[in-house]
Amino acid sequence: MTVDEVGQFATVKQWLSAFGSHWSRAAGEADQRRKLEVLHRYCEFAGRDPDALVANLLRETPTGQKIWLKRRRAEMARIDEFETVVADSDRRAGREAGNAVRSFLIHNGVALTATPFR
Amino acid sequence: MEFNKVIGSRRSIRYFQPYKSVEREKIQTILEAARIASQAVNSNWAKAIVVNRDDMSEEDRNALKTPTTTAQLDLAPTWIFWYGDTTAPSRGQTTLKQLVDVGALNPSHGWSHAYVDNVIWTQVLTPIMSDPGTLAVVTAVEAGLAICQAMLMAVNLGLGTGINAFNAAKAKEVFGVPDHLIGLWVQLVGYPAESSDGGGQRPREPFESLYFEGRYGRPFERDLEVVEQLTAEGMLQPAAPQPWRQDEVRALARMFGLPE
Repeated sequence: MTVDEVGQFATVKQWLSAFGSHWSRAAGEADQRRKLEVLHRYCEFAGRDPDALVANLLRETPTGQKIWLKRRRAEMARIDEFETVVADSDRRAGREAGNAVRSFLIHNGVALTATPFR
Repeated sequence: MEFNKVIGSRRSIRYFQPYKSVEREKIQTILEAARIASQAVNSNWAKAIVVNRDDMSEEDRNALKTPTTTAQLDLAPTWIFWYGDTTAPSRGQTTLKQLVDVGALNPSHGWSHAYVDNVIWTQVLTPIMSDPGTLAVVTAVEAGLAICQAMLMAVNLGLGTGINAFNAAKAKEVFGVPDHLIGLWVQLVGYPAESSDGGGQRPREPFESLYFEGRYGRPFERDLEVVEQLTAEGMLQPAAPQPWRQDEVRALARMFGLPE
């Protein structure tokens, strides 16, 4: 799977569209490319493509969509781990990468956040 | 702060200055405000446990969070866990007679110790206590009145505040909460990192669709002169979102390393 191919997944299109709509501005081309590169790297890290990442966390029930809570906890821990790997010695860079992945999940309906810097 | 402005300025604050603790006397003042709230049968339905975020272990802190309250719990220096006390009506026989004795409930309105003992206790309080559904509703409403006063006092003191969900089962274990207390909300208190007006007053349904006169469905007519007066006094404030709000939220997210 290439970076360009990552951009073709339905959940990635949903992410970019919802992100632009929420913030009333689409990401610039360079910014969008950087995000896709991060997500591509995370997909390799997690061993799942973008749609599979989201599908793994959501389930359909008779009353609507629900989130698998244990799986979400595991995914959140994996994103934290990913941050550490990406960060090297730059904590902000690691967080920026982790937040790109979190943003992807959030705009696909998976509620989560990061531990704030303080 | 003027009372109308306190009401108008309350927002659910979600970004706090994490490094600035809240003065102990301000926390006490918040609790004092809650204690004197209106309460059915004059029994204290609301109980609270005040916790300083940094006094807790990281493990306990994390276990108390829900996925969408993580950030604000981490940012707020003081957490007030509010509980509803389901045993409050069991004290009603005594507390109601106190009201008779201090001249709050009077013979002019039909009140007496005998009425409390023979009618209210047997026909009102005992049935409430024996019906878990009714007991939970009454407990939550009555405790909510106290929590509301606590929030307004926090605003009056220049603090940011808001009520949030928490993991009640974990809190029970961590704080040694007895079974008769129902976990309601954790009120976060701190100095706001976001603008204290939170980018404007939140959307509400139109006044006329909420309040009626004479019968359900006949709107209570809203006098625009009153609206103007309340606006001048700061109770009615510019509606959210203010044009700068998104930029503020993005800046806060970047400052605290939160996702967008």
